[in-house]
Amino acid sequence: MLDPDLVREVLVAARRRGGSFAELFVEERTSTAIRLDDGRVEELTTGIDRGAGVRVVIGASYGYAYSNRLDRASLVEAAEAASAAVRGEAPGRVVDLTRRQGPGTNRVERPADAVASATKVGWLREVDDAARSTSPEVTQVVGVYGDSVQRRLIAASDGRWVEEERPRIRLVAQVVARRGDVVQTGHYGPAACAGLEFLDRHPPRRIAETAAERAVTMLDAVPAPAGEMTVVLGPGAGGVLFHEAVGHPLEADAIDKEASVYVGRLGQRCASELVTGVDDATVPNGWGSFDFDDEGEPAQRTVLFADGELQGFLYDRIRAEKAGVASTGNGRRESYASPPIPRMTNTNILNGSARPDDVIGSTERGVYVVNLGGGQVNPASGDFVFGVSLGFLIEGGKITSPVRGANLIGRAIDVMQAIDAVADDFDTWEGVCGKDGQAAPVGSGSPTLRIARITVGGTGG
Amino acid sequence: MAERDRPSLDVLARAALDEARGDEAVEAYAEEGRRTEVSALRGEVEGITVAESRGVGVRVIRDARLGYAWVADPSLEEVRAAVRRARENAELAEPDPANGLPEPEPAEPLPQLHRPASARAGTDETVARALDLEAYATSRDPRVTRVDLVQVGDAVSAMHVASTSGVDVGYERTDAWCVVVALASDGEETQTGFSFAIGRGWDEVDPHPVADEAVERGVRVLGATKPATARVPVVLDRYAATAFLGVLASVLSAEEVLKGRSPFAGRLGDRLGSELVTIVDDGRILAGPGACPVDDEGVPTARTELVAAGVLAGFLHDTYTARRTGGDQRSTGNARRGFRSPPSVGATNLYLDAGPLSLDELLARAEGGVLIQEVSGVHSGVNPVSGEFSVGATGLRITGGALGEPLREMTIASTIPEMLLGVTGVGSDLRFLSNVGTPSVLIGEMTLAGR
Repeated sequence: MLDPDLVREVLVAARRRGGSFAELFVEERTSTAIRLDDGRVEELTTGIDRGAGVRVVIGASYGYAYSNRLDRASLVEAAEAASAAVRGEAPGRVVDLTRRQGPGTNRVERPADAVASATKVGWLREVDDAARSTSPEVTQVVGVYGDSVQRRLIAASDGRWVEEERPRIRLVAQVVARRGDVVQTGHYGPAACAGLEFLDRHPPRRIAETAAERAVTMLDAVPAPAGEMTVVLGPGAGGVLFHEAVGHPLEADAIDKEASVYVGRLGQRCASELVTGVDDATVPNGWGSFDFDDEGEPAQRTVLFADGELQGFLYDRIRAEKAGVASTGNGRRESYASPPIPRMTNTNILNGSARPDDVIGSTERGVYVVNLGGGQVNPASGDFVFGVSLGFLIEGGKITSPVRGANLIGRAIDVMQAIDAVADDFDTWEGVCGKDGQAAPVGSGSPTLRIARITVGGTGG
Repeated sequence: MAERDRPSLDVLARAALDEARGDEAVEAYAEEGRRTEVSALRGEVEGITVAESRGVGVRVIRDARLGYAWVADPSLEEVRAAVRRARENAELAEPDPANGLPEPEPAEPLPQLHRPASARAGTDETVARALDLEAYATSRDPRVTRVDLVQVGDAVSAMHVASTSGVDVGYERTDAWCVVVALASDGEETQTGFSFAIGRGWDEVDPHPVADEAVERGVRVLGATKPATARVPVVLDRYAATAFLGVLASVLSAEEVLKGRSPFAGRLGDRLGSELVTIVDDGRILAGPGACPVDDEGVPTARTELVAAGVLAGFLHDTYTARRTGGDQRSTGNARRGFRSPPSVGATNLYLDAGPLSLDELLARAEGGVLIQEVSGVHSGVNPVSGEFSVGATGLRITGGALGEPLREMTIASTIPEMLLGVTGVGSDLRFLSNVGTPSVLIGEMTLAGR
């Protein structure tokens, strides 16, 4: 994307006053966003973004300068501005840059930008049509399509230099169903770092039908029971809980600030021995996958829990250096306009050996959760509350009525200890995680798993 | 701003018009900005951010269909290519007769907005200012030895908009600001105190009083207790009143009205509040950070009375909402945007008009009541459709016309209309903490729920 001599010149300028290291991040991103609201194209926007950020780090402080001008003068000026964080030292060294090749984690068969927007609008019309055909009770349908390609260059004063192209595609259906005064919503929006072949696995009609069935199903929902009970999380749902309640407290900035329930517990049993959990940026075409993180570290698979034992935290360069360990490749940023921070990638609980039917069949009474909605977690204490957007009663080992208004209330460590069954039907869920004002695409995943006892907040008896 | 052989914003915006066809309306909005921000912590620089950005967004309207495309830091050819992309996008959109561009209108410039000599400090100077402010803030009171945030920044920015209907206008502005969030501690207890100042140049922003105010606001609520539930007179200080007025700003937008998301839809001419309540949007007030001679479609800004002596008098409009509303409704010059998205309705400087009373006079009329200095959960706590809200509050008891014991963990549950009707006094101390400004406000009686 840039001439190597220019990259080197920028890094030399950034190190003019020394510091621990200097880094250049350059990106170019093209994107298409389409929103079809009740059959009308409400938004159709195509954008081209580009910019570069220069970071100069000294200890835990940093200078960060960015610009969307990519010419020599602008880049050198940004480098000099970022170096203002360091004062009164001798210039630092810039090691000869060596380009590293990535393994090609996010290969694309059919690029999305090769297809006209009219075709993409056509997919959303299919979503609208399929959702309405599902049931006469469907009253509103919103379809959202987005694709983008982000080309990145990362180079740093320790000689690293990587370039990578990240493709993204997502198709979301939001459906409202109404019966009399009862209104319910259903939502489904798979995503991947892939090309249009993604739609072969997730045809627009199927996405729409899934969202519509969820909305219509919930019309029959009864108030959720309240109290301590057994909860079975369906495939994918446990990953969301794992990401929010367990993953965030394992990010190294929370550990560094001692604002995490897992401080000082490495090597301890912090979860049921059925739980093995990883953060894995190497999953092919995963929503949180890449060849290199946004600091140029190779993607890794980091074991967080092995048979229930806490084994690792998620590091970026600054926190790794402070803790005297190697980065785990979790330095991520929203764009050139933000410095990197420790973030999850794809955070998964791995398959166990139980069969999902047996897990449900052996549950006398409880709640079966298909989908979790919004949640709140206090990373310092591990306390969390999650809404259940789609759930059912389990009665006599069978899934029965849908329930509404259910919340799961618990504490990360207790709940992870209380997992007493893990099945073998792993599935994923793709989301956008917000932290420190930066949005990041993240994957999460899990098989069906059972929490022996957890508090369910509901309005029913 | 360094030009480095780049086309100027006006040239960039006009390049889009070269590409327009006879049967379509084309508009290009170009903006650029440069911002420096330094935060300081424990005597050291915590972070420096220097940001520079530039971009163009293009609207094409053809057969009443709207398409949009944008590009960061484009060449002239890339602007023309954006027009072609927006045109393709428009072909796929549904026609909407309200889509349209404004006709050009002469706008009186506001040259005082752009004062680069007093606003643009060098990075080293900004670093020195941040370090000095942090040192000052942590030396005023033995209970304030730490800050949560000290940040100092300045910016210079510019925009230009050009269209096939003849709009060809732009302006430049400068800003300088500082923020202090002081941490006041006493034993186990920690309270935060926030203060902020913004102006068009450093001669308008005095950092030390900002630190003094943040320290005072943190220290004075140390030792706060939860009061008994009572119905009492309430004085909202300017920080608390601004939080509420910010919510009102969104429901006074015609866009929210047209989408059925405002409790004020269809109520023009109705009494909404006490006759002491006059709410105005005015993009030409230089004291407000939202000042601009034209809005982001190039329509001249003006003074728009939204609530006049308690009566709902109007809504904020851009060109689209004015056309969709019909009749003789015109844009009020309230189109706001960044280059990555088409314009939508937003406030310029929205404020509650000042009254005649000093803060002391307001306190004297609120004997036994409470001064609220902070409210939490306003954005999630107020239902913009019904106007109902329940928020957490921190404040001070008013005793003998002065501020007394600190109070916290109070909740106020009311509705926006009830609150507006309950205003019995308005202060003379109008201040803009963002593009929303208020004086201190006395509300005759409110229920403060505590123990």
